[in-house]
Amino acid sequence: MAMTNPIQLIAVAVSLALVVVVIELVRRGALTEEYSLIWLVCGAALLVLSFWKNILDVSARWLGIYYPPAVLLLVVVFFGFVASLYFSVVISGQRRRIERLIEEAALIDARVRELEAEAGRREAADPARQP
Amino acid sequence: MLVPARDEARSLPGLVHVLRAEQPGAGILVVDDASTDATRQLLPGLGVEWLTLCAHTGVGGTIRAGLRYALRRGYDVVVRVDGDGQHPADQIERVLAPIRAGQVDAVVGSRYRQGSGYRAPGWRRAAQRVLAAWVSAAIRQRITDPTSGFWAFGPRAVRLLASHHPTGYPEPELLLLLAHNGLRVSEVPIEMRRRLAGRSSLTAARVGAIAGRTALALLILPLRRTVPDGDD
Repeated sequence: MAMTNPIQLIAVAVSLALVVVVIELVRRGALTEEYSLIWLVCGAALLVLSFWKNILDVSARWLGIYYPPAVLLLVVVFFGFVASLYFSVVISGQRRRIERLIEEAALIDARVRELEAEAGRREAADPARQP
Repeated sequence: MLVPARDEARSLPGLVHVLRAEQPGAGILVVDDASTDATRQLLPGLGVEWLTLCAHTGVGGTIRAGLRYALRRGYDVVVRVDGDGQHPADQIERVLAPIRAGQVDAVVGSRYRQGSGYRAPGWRRAAQRVLAAWVSAAIRQRITDPTSGFWAFGPRAVRLLASHHPTGYPEPELLLLLAHNGLRVSEVPIEMRRRLAGRSSLTAARVGAIAGRTALALLILPLRRTVPDGDD
């Protein structure tokens, strides 16, 4: 658990920075809570891995990986992959909702025109009731 | 009659005139898919009902909006005629006939059935052949023109598609969707015109994208739950 080399310090610092940046973004309202979660989980996982280097060594031995830091890389790639898949799903949902919104706006626009025309006709028929 | 229009200012007035002459009793709805030309300014003067989408969504969203409008207005049979004027208005009766007779729920007007006398440029025709073979095999019914935009929809199809019409440039997927949900589809030959103005929206890249989506739809649609009838 002891800090042995500079790279470990840097790894801890970067992971901490990630967590702090995400929390700051949420605080400012630039990132909503639901989307911050996936990043906080990433940051926490990186933090744990960079603190306890043993986990890397043990899991590397267990997985048959000769170079323990490669496990870290593997974890990072995995999280990146999951995150982009997750965001593709989010974007797809947003696209569907935006399209619906555009369609509904067009329908409401048509309804407004119709009601305006109706109101215009009524006013023309009975000018005394005009405000 | 539902006319999806994207930058069709040049052909639209002529088309509306012809449609009105051919089908005097039918309502005409033009849905403007955020055109960048004068289409939007033309609409109020055409004497038709119209919708205008505030951002570009592609044919799928345009048709969905149009069908929902039609549904709310109490129309239950809708003919889709493209705004470029390439679909001959005098053949609307042909695509409508099987729906009026209650035989099917949706009809495609095919340019390639025997007697249609229309030939698309070589590579496009080849791509369409492949698509046609796919779609035909998937719905176990011979389809010769899976990218046709000339359609007639009966009540069941209007209800289904007002919410579930596929997005983008979706005609082949539409055939699969209809068949998957147990709607009866048929194809009738139509004689095509050259488009009055404007260019085909089928570029090579788009044909590739359509082919990819159709392939995906072929794989995934059968796995999807069907839409319960009457679920709008």
